[in-house]
Amino acid sequence: MNHLSEEELIAHAYAEDDSNAVQQHLLACAECAKAYSALGSDLADIKFAEAPPRDSAYGHRVWESLAGSLPAYEPRKSWFRRGLWPALSYAAAGIALVVCAFLGGRLWEHRHAQTIAQNHVQQHEPTVQQPPQRIVVVVLSDHLDRSERLLVELKHAEGGSVAFPLRDEARSLLEANQICRKNAKQDDDRALSTALDRLDHLLVELANQPDGLNTQTISRLQDEMNVDGLLFEVRVLRSRQAASSTHPKGDTI
Amino acid sequence: MDKNDQAAIGAVLAGDKDAYGALVVGHSARLFRVAFRITGNEADAEDVVQEAFLRGYRKLESFESRSDFGTWIYRIAVRCALNKISGQRMDENSRVGEESNRQQHEVQLADWAAGPERLVLSGEIGAMQEMAMSSLTPTERTAFVLRHIEDCTSEEIASALGIEPNAAKQAVFRAVQKLRRRLAILRVKI
Repeated sequence: MNHLSEEELIAHAYAEDDSNAVQQHLLACAECAKAYSALGSDLADIKFAEAPPRDSAYGHRVWESLAGSLPAYEPRKSWFRRGLWPALSYAAAGIALVVCAFLGGRLWEHRHAQTIAQNHVQQHEPTVQQPPQRIVVVVLSDHLDRSERLLVELKHAEGGSVAFPLRDEARSLLEANQICRKNAKQDDDRALSTALDRLDHLLVELANQPDGLNTQTISRLQDEMNVDGLLFEVRVLRSRQAASSTHPKGDTI
Repeated sequence: MDKNDQAAIGAVLAGDKDAYGALVVGHSARLFRVAFRITGNEADAEDVVQEAFLRGYRKLESFESRSDFGTWIYRIAVRCALNKISGQRMDENSRVGEESNRQQHEVQLADWAAGPERLVLSGEIGAMQEMAMSSLTPTERTAFVLRHIEDCTSEEIASALGIEPNAAKQAVFRAVQKLRRRLAILRVKI
């Protein structure tokens, strides 16, 4: 059997332990019971001298000795006086903070949206330009060359097999001719502009023959449009063009 | 908390300094008793009481109205008493340290707490116990007084001394052990 230590006995004496277990041990162990009895006797012998009695005026004397050295507390202000202005200041600061945050958020959102839109446009630009802008380069000399060939074929045409090729070629030349006309007018080249105007009329007539070109239509056009004269003008213009510049002149859309 | 104490505290904090007088008058006697038991000296106990009420007044704004003012000022008084005897012990040690003569050293200790011969002659068992008490550290003495005389629990002692409850319990154990050994030797000599 393990005996109780002095600490355990002291704790038991001051009722700061598992009293029941210690009590059971003390009942069973004579040695510990003797030690505990000795401890109790020692503790009982320890007596302090009684404090000298204080009369009823003692408290007043203590207060009198203190009163002179104690500063009075500042009277507590009412909540309204003490806390109104700080409260209003905090409230105003809070409201200002919220407003700034709101406006800042809106501004940021606006700019952010613009940025997103720009990024979106940049990202999708190739798609927007999906059919890429068509660039047609019309070289005047080539155009005159092709027109001359068409006029030669028309001059010698008799209907039949050439009807549809002529019409298709006329449609093909029509757009290029319009570009060249426009450019000639801008350059104030009257000779070229006049010739291209006449050529335009002819090409329109040829292009708008849904059933192709028969012999009568060809003959009519040869007469009405003066194909021979127009062919001559085109050849003159080609010569002039070749002489004026070794480099082909281009018109671009 | 006592309603009178509560009202007095409210009045003091509202600027009525004199209201503190009611608190001083009401709690002075109890504070003096515990201060005397810890210091063992009437004059020191009175100093402790004044110091405790002075500190209490300065800290009154931090006092929580849910607590009991009597308990609160009691703890302050215990701290003041502990500081008092700690300071005295340091003074004693410094005075002893200044003495180069071993004989003078022994005489000085005998003057501070009565020697066995004097105890035999006077037959004052209280003085013998006081000599035994002098072997305790200030914390052990204060903890023992609070436990043995004031019947405080370890938690209350810990709260008053500002230490952990287990440390308070250990302080009481050490105090009892020292006192028993010291008193046993003194009994043999007597």
